[in-house]
Amino acid sequence: MNEHTAPATTRPSTRKRYKRIAYGLLGAGILALWIAIALDRFAIGVALYWAGGIGMGLVQRFSPVDLYDERDAAIERKAGRNTMNVFVLGAPGGLVLQESGLVTLPGEFHGAMWTLFAIYVVYGASVLYHKYRT
Amino acid sequence: MRNDISERRAETGESQADLAAAVGVTRQTINAIERERYDPSLELAFDLAAHFGCRIEDLFDPADEDR
Repeated sequence: MNEHTAPATTRPSTRKRYKRIAYGLLGAGILALWIAIALDRFAIGVALYWAGGIGMGLVQRFSPVDLYDERDAAIERKAGRNTMNVFVLGAPGGLVLQESGLVTLPGEFHGAMWTLFAIYVVYGASVLYHKYRT
Repeated sequence: MRNDISERRAETGESQADLAAAVGVTRQTINAIERERYDPSLELAFDLAAHFGCRIEDLFDPADEDR
């Protein structure tokens, strides 16, 4: 039994309930962000989005049970890897299509590519940080 | 990894949820281990062995695992 495991009296239903609350807060934050963007209230939207994210973090931190076990972590690891592979291999395909004249990509696509690049820079920095700490 | 957790659980009359609560994971994780779709961490394997009062190698058989 360690910090990653729950006490013996923990019931799965309790874990499920807190998980719903945590994801509900994040979902509400995302919804609020979209509504605020639609209403041209960006700052309020981002504030509500952050509030939802922080709320989720607080529920995870202070819930009486651990919301994730090691299998959840393994699933997230695999899903994250697959997601990265889809974007890393798939997104540049758009540039190939544009070069071949099959499609004309909107400016947003190039913005998305730069965002993807930025995500990889942060990801790489995070990997290095944890590599030297582990 | 092959294991006899479901047999041992049946002997003690525990449900998957009972065992999951005892070792601090979800019922789905116990189900996945029993169906050999998920290999537990060493730590969880120790917890499971301790729960059933046996050694890890009594509980798990890696013989069929691809190496």
